[in-house]
Amino acid sequence: MRSLLNFLLRFRTLILFLVLEAVALVMISTSHNYHQTVFYGISRNISGFVAKRLERGTYYFRLRQVNDELVRENTILKREIVSLSSARQEGITAVTDSVNGVNYTYLNARVISNSVNKQKNFITLDKGTRHGVALGMGVASPSGVVGVVVGVSRNYSVVMSLLNTDFRLSASIARNDYFGSLAWDGSNYRYARLSEIPHHVMVNEGDTIVTSGFSAIFPAGLMAGTLTGEQKRGGDFVSLKVMLSVDFKKLTNVYVIGNLTREEREKLEEEVVQ
Amino acid sequence: MNSIIRYTVTFLLLIALQLLIFNNIEFSGYVNPYVYVMFILILPVAMPSWILLLLGFLTGFVIDLFSGTMGVHTFATVIAAYVRPWVLSLNVTAETAEGEMSPSSYRSGLRWFLVYTATVVLAHHLALFLVETFSFRLFLQTLLRVLLSTAVTTFFIVLFDFIRPHR
Repeated sequence: MRSLLNFLLRFRTLILFLVLEAVALVMISTSHNYHQTVFYGISRNISGFVAKRLERGTYYFRLRQVNDELVRENTILKREIVSLSSARQEGITAVTDSVNGVNYTYLNARVISNSVNKQKNFITLDKGTRHGVALGMGVASPSGVVGVVVGVSRNYSVVMSLLNTDFRLSASIARNDYFGSLAWDGSNYRYARLSEIPHHVMVNEGDTIVTSGFSAIFPAGLMAGTLTGEQKRGGDFVSLKVMLSVDFKKLTNVYVIGNLTREEREKLEEEVVQ
Repeated sequence: MNSIIRYTVTFLLLIALQLLIFNNIEFSGYVNPYVYVMFILILPVAMPSWILLLLGFLTGFVIDLFSGTMGVHTFATVIAAYVRPWVLSLNVTAETAEGEMSPSSYRSGLRWFLVYTATVVLAHHLALFLVETFSFRLFLQTLLRVLLSTAVTTFFIVLFDFIRPHR
């Protein structure tokens, strides 16, 4: 007993060290659901508040780039209006119940904090449950896919960025509809990899990669990136290097995408699988 | 009592500096300076190691809480606090052995402080980036991040050491 006590006394620093490191490791290993905890909610409210104040200052200096982006998007929308109205005139489609066709809702939000230099990057937005943001909603910018909402409080939400090594996106090659899984490897923030594409698929440099629409988070056909032509072979599949369409260093305005029929779809899929 | 207040203010300043300025530095993805380690470095020489460890835990935990990286900084900062007495005893000089004193370049010379800071920061960054990546895949790339970030962090800590008031 005495020698045990002596032993504990002698190594008390080492023991305390090991205990503290064990606590830290437990914290790391449970961090996957960390973004839902109350604890994080409080800290998010404080840091969100500070980040919002800071962002207000820096936003001014990015107005020029934001403007360019909006003009570009306007042009695309105008083109779409023209094509839609001409289609109506020809009498090809007559939409009587317009509500029925709407599947996705779009809510604009401002990025108030963002990073590209970690392995697991997260983005904070200035919209929360008060504005209708919910867990699992998709986030996109005018130029493409950005991430998925993983935490919400009343006024803020936290998005798991595509630049997060835990993030997987079901994406397909727009030209031939072959689909695979798009993920970031943690190195360069401009590139990601599209894996699980079969050998025999013909791909060209510059092919467009879009969302597949299989996950009910993003609508199908949302831009994700373009192929660089570089590929890696392994087994029956190739993985293709993709240049992301979104420049995460310049992210300012994004859309939070809600799927109105998501619950119904997931319930049905669950019922059938079980 | 006076020194407790002084260290608390230093603690808050370093945390604010880290979260508001240094966390936003994104230079090629390879340089992520974590200057808050300075708090562990400048605690009094005679501080018992168990208090050091607890303070290291607290510092890392606060950083984790605000940057959304649960446990990663805590793990690394506890390692920094654990190696500190050992690094101190390796380069002990007559000057540094005095109890109440805080390690600084002012008392012990720039060269001594540089070596001391770089060693502890290296241990911290090595643990931090390895745990953050959580694999030995891309090991060389992680190592490059560690070395570049260590250099930049050390530079800033030495700089701050010059401008902080010494009694």
